[in-house]
Amino acid sequence: MRTKLTVNTRDVSVEAPPTETLLTTLRDRLQLTGTKEACVEGECGACTVLLDGRPVDSCIYATAAAAGLSVTTVEGLCGLDGSLSPLQQSFVDHFAIQCGFCTPGLLMTLNALLEANPDPDREEIENAIAGNLCRCTGYTQIVEAVEAINQESLS
Amino acid sequence: MTGEVGRSSIRSDGAAKTTGKAIFGTDVILPGMLHARLLRSTVPAGRIISLDLSKVVEFPGVHGVLTAADTPNQRSGLVLMDAPLFASEFVRFEGEPIAAVVADTRAIANQALALASLEIEEIHSVGSVEEAIAPNAPLVHPDWESFATPPGLEWPRSGNIVAETSSDPEGVDEAFAGATTVVEDQFETGRQYQAYMEPRMAVAEFDGQRFTIHVAHQFPYNVRDRVAAAIGVNPSEIRVVGHHIGGGFGAKLDTGLEPYAALLARRFGRPVRLANDRSEDLLTCQCRDNAVIKIRTAIGKNGELLARDVDVLMDSGASATDIPFLTSIPMHVFGSLYRIGPVRIRTRAVYTNTAPTGAFRGVNGTHLYFALERHMDHIANRLNIDRLEYRRSNLQPDGCKLPTGQVLNDAGILSEAFDAVEQLAPWNGLGQGPNRGVGIAACMWLTNPMPGSATLKLNSDGTLGVLTAATENGSGAIATGVRQIAAEEFGLPAEKVIVTMPDTDAAAFDAGSQGSRTTHIVGRAIREAAIEVRAQILDTAADMLEAAPEDLELANEMVSVSGSPSKQVSLAEVAATAQANSGPISGTGSYTTPMPPINPTCASGLLFPAFPTPTYHVHVAEVEIDPATGIVRVLRYLVAQEVGKAINPQAVRGQIQGGVAQGLGYALWETLQIDAGRYSQRTLEAYGLPLATDTPEVEIALLEHPDPAGPYGAKGVAEPPIIPVAAAIGNAVEHAIGKSVNTIPITAEHVLEALSNS
Repeated sequence: MRTKLTVNTRDVSVEAPPTETLLTTLRDRLQLTGTKEACVEGECGACTVLLDGRPVDSCIYATAAAAGLSVTTVEGLCGLDGSLSPLQQSFVDHFAIQCGFCTPGLLMTLNALLEANPDPDREEIENAIAGNLCRCTGYTQIVEAVEAINQESLS
Repeated sequence: MTGEVGRSSIRSDGAAKTTGKAIFGTDVILPGMLHARLLRSTVPAGRIISLDLSKVVEFPGVHGVLTAADTPNQRSGLVLMDAPLFASEFVRFEGEPIAAVVADTRAIANQALALASLEIEEIHSVGSVEEAIAPNAPLVHPDWESFATPPGLEWPRSGNIVAETSSDPEGVDEAFAGATTVVEDQFETGRQYQAYMEPRMAVAEFDGQRFTIHVAHQFPYNVRDRVAAAIGVNPSEIRVVGHHIGGGFGAKLDTGLEPYAALLARRFGRPVRLANDRSEDLLTCQCRDNAVIKIRTAIGKNGELLARDVDVLMDSGASATDIPFLTSIPMHVFGSLYRIGPVRIRTRAVYTNTAPTGAFRGVNGTHLYFALERHMDHIANRLNIDRLEYRRSNLQPDGCKLPTGQVLNDAGILSEAFDAVEQLAPWNGLGQGPNRGVGIAACMWLTNPMPGSATLKLNSDGTLGVLTAATENGSGAIATGVRQIAAEEFGLPAEKVIVTMPDTDAAAFDAGSQGSRTTHIVGRAIREAAIEVRAQILDTAADMLEAAPEDLELANEMVSVSGSPSKQVSLAEVAATAQANSGPISGTGSYTTPMPPINPTCASGLLFPAFPTPTYHVHVAEVEIDPATGIVRVLRYLVAQEVGKAINPQAVRGQIQGGVAQGLGYALWETLQIDAGRYSQRTLEAYGLPLATDTPEVEIALLEHPDPAGPYGAKGVAEPPIIPVAAAIGNAVEHAIGKSVNTIPITAEHVLEALSNS
């Protein structure tokens, strides 16, 4: 079946079986491989994308259900000149990355958090990313990267 | 000098990893690439009655299948040649590959595989280490005697015992006979799944002559050699290209899917991608081994440790992997940290009908130190001495000897680590109040000595290239440490150093990301290479500046004449001049740590004889127990860690924070129960990884006693943070509830059970 949606502000039309997941469409058809496949059970959050601004696990979300909606992936976070967003830059500056496989999903979840709550405290940040597994960092430097943005925006 | 060493320079891969542009192994797409899936055993032990793949082959979009009948009839392995590629007559663990199908897409391969007709007659499985050593136990491998070992490498093994290391020094029985007190413990520890976020994968292509295998792997040279042995070609016929690695933690050191992808690519003439889904990845991963550890210590009238007797049973699963090396580790652990008389140790690793186990960050150190340090608490409690005070009064001094005969010249560092955690938070102030407890645990650990190399080239724009087969496994060893060391050598900022991704056709051997070795070994190799490169730079600049090379200084990307700073040329000018006149500037260095001397007759089966470049660490955990639910909450976690020299303090902190989080998962939540050879937990959700809401911020004190052989003094960093965590947590839980929980993980159910036992 044909589904029309917007991906990173670009209109796309895909022909895919009705059971195809958004993750498969993004990775295999649109070759947007920044969104990661890690569990395909909606458990780890590595495949998180924004759907009309709301974070969803693209591995258990049917592409057909995204018809007419706007999808943002990690590839859509940079500036037009390729510059990093403040959150991306803060991840780099605060060692919030180790292997980096969970990073795209975390960035999407945190973008949604900061959109809804521009000044989250530590507990709010931890709760927001409790659905994003990171095996490398132990999370502290990720939380600090988000806190640093708050401090910069307040100063 | 720009002072790159000791500075928290940002990672070289930070932008790629935050923009989604970093290509991980799983992102590799080649023109014409096909997709493969494996048909796996559904039972832990059985005889294959029939296998009919005709409907699989006929399915539209399928290119074909491979089975044992199509592959070399040989077994291979890291040290013991005991693992077939495909099971033929018997299956020996759930998930063992039986056949491979290759198709246009992964979806087609999955649909086709569902049409396979496979009949297995289930036979009695050996599901536990106790069953494996029981009299008349069925043999997991009845043909174990026929398994080959590498030339010159032999060790005691028989039947289900795949490796045994034993040491029986004089005086143990006499000491027990004369002891005032004997304390005895038994500990049972579970498996731990590495649970890296990127499931294992491989993409292989064959050009009619040679293979190229694309991996996200910690040890590309091992892939080359192991695939060559498994499929019967020369190593030089295989090129391994490394991409970004979505975590490994030891599980991506041995081969897994690569030999199948290579065979399929050759057979079907197209590039082939083979990747695990999460469930099969969990079921077949070489997890940290589960173990049963019995430990008994004889104590004198003044509390002195007279002698010890230790028996360790490790579960190797259905093949040996690297476990025959790991049966040596108790020899480095049970006589360490505290002064003690003779120590008798018998360690046996056994075959069971479960997925093969193997390396996980800190290997069996996690459960060996759990046993040692939980046991130390029990001794102190029995003697009615404060647990910290008892440890401190028995610490080994500089120059002490391990049971292997290895001398630890710097063992006294451990005392400073105890001081450092006391400064972070005084022992007497922790674990106070109802349902609260505090635990302390120490460890001594090695820096893996295996060889590595680096080639440096000074580019004509003044940047420095570093060519190495070492891998960036997430730790920052390449993305920060190695890069900063190379920068420091030439007065460059780190941004001007470019380290290659690994390619076995290009860079010389490197032993991979294991045992905290990369910064230490590759950093030292860079320093060796830099001697040659520096000489070329100064010779060239001397001609340009009409000065003697010994009068020149190299700093801030410039070469200048001492005392005449206006007489200077840039590194870029030097590189361009050399390139035009005498040839490009480059040099190569190699390094491997010499093994410390030991007493070779101290034990039999000691394949891993010593702990080179030791480091010393102390962890303290404060916990609170909910007596209604049994849930353990970690309130504070302190680490004092010896690192030699922190090349990048924030990267070091990341290793400690992340290692402790993995240790907390091991200690408290992560569960792989084995029921008649099958895992009860089969998804990430059921397995129970630590979440952001579970993990406290770790309070850290770094100790820096530079290693004269290490680059700028650096020692290994990444493994130690996970090692004493379960011990510290176990000791804190026992302190809180007044009951001993001698298992890992210490789940809420275990705590409740202990509380209900009066």
